[in-house]
Amino acid sequence: MENKHITIFHGPQHPGITGNMSIELDLIGETIQKATTHVGYLHRGFEKLIERRTVIQAFTIVCRICVPEPDPNEANFAMAVEELAGLEVTPRAQYIRVMVLELSRLAAQFLWMAGQSGSIGLYAVGQWAIADRDLILDLFEELTGARVYHMYIYPGGVRRDLPEGFLERVTTLLIYMKKRLKDYDDIFINNASFKNRAVGVGIISKEEAVANGYVGQVLRGCGIKADVRKDAPYLVYNELEFEVPTQTTGDVYARALVRRAEMDQSLHILDQVVRKMPEGKVMIKIPTHRKFKLPKDDTWVKVESARGEFAYYMAGDGSEKIRRMQVRGPSLVHAYTLLEDLLIGAELSDVALIMNSLGICPPEIER
Amino acid sequence: MFNEIKQRFATDDVEVKRNDLYKVRIKYSRLFELMHMLRDEYDYKTLNAITCTDWIEEGHFALTYMLTTEDRKYTFMIQTMINREDAQAKTLSHEYKQAQIMERDLHEMYGIDFPGNENLKELSLESWVHTPPLRREFDTLEFVTNHLIFREGREDNVDTKAETKRLRAEKKAQKSKDEEVKDGK
Repeated sequence: MENKHITIFHGPQHPGITGNMSIELDLIGETIQKATTHVGYLHRGFEKLIERRTVIQAFTIVCRICVPEPDPNEANFAMAVEELAGLEVTPRAQYIRVMVLELSRLAAQFLWMAGQSGSIGLYAVGQWAIADRDLILDLFEELTGARVYHMYIYPGGVRRDLPEGFLERVTTLLIYMKKRLKDYDDIFINNASFKNRAVGVGIISKEEAVANGYVGQVLRGCGIKADVRKDAPYLVYNELEFEVPTQTTGDVYARALVRRAEMDQSLHILDQVVRKMPEGKVMIKIPTHRKFKLPKDDTWVKVESARGEFAYYMAGDGSEKIRRMQVRGPSLVHAYTLLEDLLIGAELSDVALIMNSLGICPPEIER
Repeated sequence: MFNEIKQRFATDDVEVKRNDLYKVRIKYSRLFELMHMLRDEYDYKTLNAITCTDWIEEGHFALTYMLTTEDRKYTFMIQTMINREDAQAKTLSHEYKQAQIMERDLHEMYGIDFPGNENLKELSLESWVHTPPLRREFDTLEFVTNHLIFREGREDNVDTKAETKRLRAEKKAQKSKDEEVKDGK
């Protein structure tokens, strides 16, 4: 029987889509001829809202820009404000920020593991990953009072000091995680079902990755040692030892291996942070929110999120409100420039697999 | 590099913002020449972002192009001003693939035209016929008041003023109690 040309929507209500977006797929049989990304299901207008609020009021909403990993937003926001206002954060606050960012990276990688394994039907991995992520969220709850949106990395430092015994509890978690991650190698990373599906799928070339501004595991998966923590170190990352894992094949499996190796590196960083945590204050004196004004100047700050380089442009105008703040996460370019290209010629069953490997978070596109 | 930019483009507006971040302000007519120079001679190969800031009181948009070196160590912010009315800028989508979606985003949010960009259709907004929302004259509150229907909230049985007063008094009492304990009274 002759295959007919059909168009279907993959998402927004689909377990294989990473958030509120859809991909319009033109198919012949099961082979994709054309893919068109659609967003707009979650447009909350953060960038406009921020222009109406004072600096501190704006701080309370930035973490909502990315649900799986809110902390890089807080860090970028705080760093941009501090740079414009000429504030310098204490060493202890910087170490605590690194600790929060690395815990957040681990939590986001577990969430990715749940999504990526679910996209090929390995549901047990997802159950495990969500349960293990919860152990990190328990620590966040103790430290910040919230499990997901922490509002903790505050301009001028962090909102409160570590509770008594917190570092010991982080160490206990690290010991558990080091042992536990090996189980994920057995059940997921080295699983023949995953390998068979992921090797040779969604291949991206090195040249294309550099020229088109791709970031994170997409770059590292095709052999480029790019990591903001190493390339343009912020906070105290230059005082910590860690590797930037890479792979060379540029496919879905290479990106998975990179992510898995990054989890080990995060544990290694956290181990050092716990040992090196300095004493001192965690917050400097900042103006009250009605008197907190940013000069007429602009800046560009970036951190390495679990999905790659995550940047903010921020401009002040001498008033107590931010003139302009623009979010540049991995998702806008990955969901359009990359995904639409990568899906051409792919099989329908590989859409979720490819999409999950690119670290796309739709709320950050619509911001 | 800075001297070459200053001489060749007749500008003194070059700034080292951080040891990994530089900024230059340049006339729109020389913008693309500078971008090509940075790309071809100084390795700024990746276009990372295009941002726009609305300076309504000065009558222009500030377009900022972020270029990053291939080793990702340095970023150059190249800023140029374009007129707010009939705002348009040349597309970069034929040189940088990712510029296509970045320009589409700016077109939707500010109404800037990018002649040559073949896909400037709607992105996040659906059938939007009003002022592009990130322009300063777009007032979110006014728009919401005029276009959306408000639902009445639930009746609040708590007198918030009295409750705030009670909580403050409670806090004050607790504080003086703590101080007494501290002083060993």
